[in-house]
Amino acid sequence: MLPAHATFYFPWEIRTDAIKDGTSLRTCWVFQRDPSAPFLCAQTLRLASYLPEESRAVLTCVRASVQHQVSVRTTFVEPFHPVIGAQYIVLGETEKAEGGDAILHARVLTCVDGVDVALLQKAVDEQRSFFKDRDGPGPE
Amino acid sequence: MSDKGDAEEEPPHLLWGLDPVFKAFARLYVKDILQMRQSRQVPGIYFYKTHPVFQVDVLGTVVYRREREDFCCYGVDDSTGVINCLCWKDEKWRDFGDSVKGRGGGVFDAEEQLRKLREAQRSRMELDIGDVLRVRGTVKTSRQQREIMASCFYKVSDPVMAVQISRMLEMPSLYRDCYDRPFSVPPHQAGTAAAAEPGGLSDFQLLLGRAGRILKEFLREKEVARFRPYDVEYLLHPLLPRPAATPSVGQVWNLLKDSLKILQDEGEIFRKVLSPDEVYNVTEQDKDLLAAIMDVLREDSKREKYTEKGCHVLHVLSSVRQRYSRNLSREALQVALRLLECNSDIISTTDSHYTVL
Repeated sequence: MLPAHATFYFPWEIRTDAIKDGTSLRTCWVFQRDPSAPFLCAQTLRLASYLPEESRAVLTCVRASVQHQVSVRTTFVEPFHPVIGAQYIVLGETEKAEGGDAILHARVLTCVDGVDVALLQKAVDEQRSFFKDRDGPGPE
Repeated sequence: MSDKGDAEEEPPHLLWGLDPVFKAFARLYVKDILQMRQSRQVPGIYFYKTHPVFQVDVLGTVVYRREREDFCCYGVDDSTGVINCLCWKDEKWRDFGDSVKGRGGGVFDAEEQLRKLREAQRSRMELDIGDVLRVRGTVKTSRQQREIMASCFYKVSDPVMAVQISRMLEMPSLYRDCYDRPFSVPPHQAGTAAAAEPGGLSDFQLLLGRAGRILKEFLREKEVARFRPYDVEYLLHPLLPRPAATPSVGQVWNLLKDSLKILQDEGEIFRKVLSPDEVYNVTEQDKDLLAAIMDVLREDSKREKYTEKGCHVLHVLSSVRQRYSRNLSREALQVALRLLECNSDIISTTDSHYTVL
């Protein structure tokens, strides 16, 4: 009855071969650590486009000069009022699409423009390392 | 954390109150709440590692919603698990009427402000999928499903995820500093009577408490009116080490003496006559004492001095001492007066005055 819980994943981790089809997950910010730079720079997952007739939104982020793209099906969260360029958090199930691109069928799509990406990244990393220490290496 | 927890691994339930986590709303991951094992000693209590837990505090996204007339059931996902939270609807929101038109024009309208406040409160109690919910409540298992019966819940306004991030950052340190540290019972509290030496004051007090309770229960059940110490000595044998050697006899005797002293101080028993023959009267069973108190109150309440307010307890004490027993303590008298009042034979007009009905 209750949906499966949605673990945090970063956009570049949502590759169809790395995550099983149908996995519930949530994704948001990308915290990019550039080794050549003296400071840390953050990139975010931003809404690039929204096609209401297809119920599809495209969110992008850039990490290590590579653009990562996540397509999001918005049928469950319509009516959806997009703010192009804003940061979003997506919670939903992965689907395998033609061409092997990642598609998320969103159950929750919330605008969180202004989020502290660095801190969120740190929080996710801390949670992951805590679980790893406590429970041993595992999917979470 | 398997569900099969052994009772031996659980600390004894009498000591759970020593664990601060037990009384707190534990901030556990939903995953851990779902996997906690049930206590074998007390139903309705769960164990996270060695900590007894029955109330939790959860923050997460609402991913499921089911509404009924009296309550809403929200599925809350904190990214480690999803749990059902039963949130009862507040009756005052049900009849939330139409808005009252404000006077406007910059005039402070109390009714309008109150209406806005109520509206704001109400909107924080109604959630939809995607909202962030904070819940505090007791953990229950219903139809093999774990859920939280909310005692307090509200919608969290978290536009830039500050609250959720802060929660995610604090949880690992909470676990490391608190939940994952074993619940260590101080050694002198954990020792059973058999293993105890009368070192450690609290250890002895624990024993004394038990002895007092055993004696009280016995006297009450058997409706004992009078007894001598050796009549009840055998009741305390199970509390002390087995070997029936002389040292244990001495220990029992000391324990008995101290327990009887405590019962005397509490007024549960008293010695009517101080003589070499150590006889104790049980206050609540002493018919003669109760009769004497009634006589005093009946007679003196008729006197003008005491008609309105009744007799002061000290007056009753001195009268009963003259009539019945010079050794009667105030505590014993209070116990007797309480019993008579429970039986509706007398009534207290103030904290220290009594009269007959």
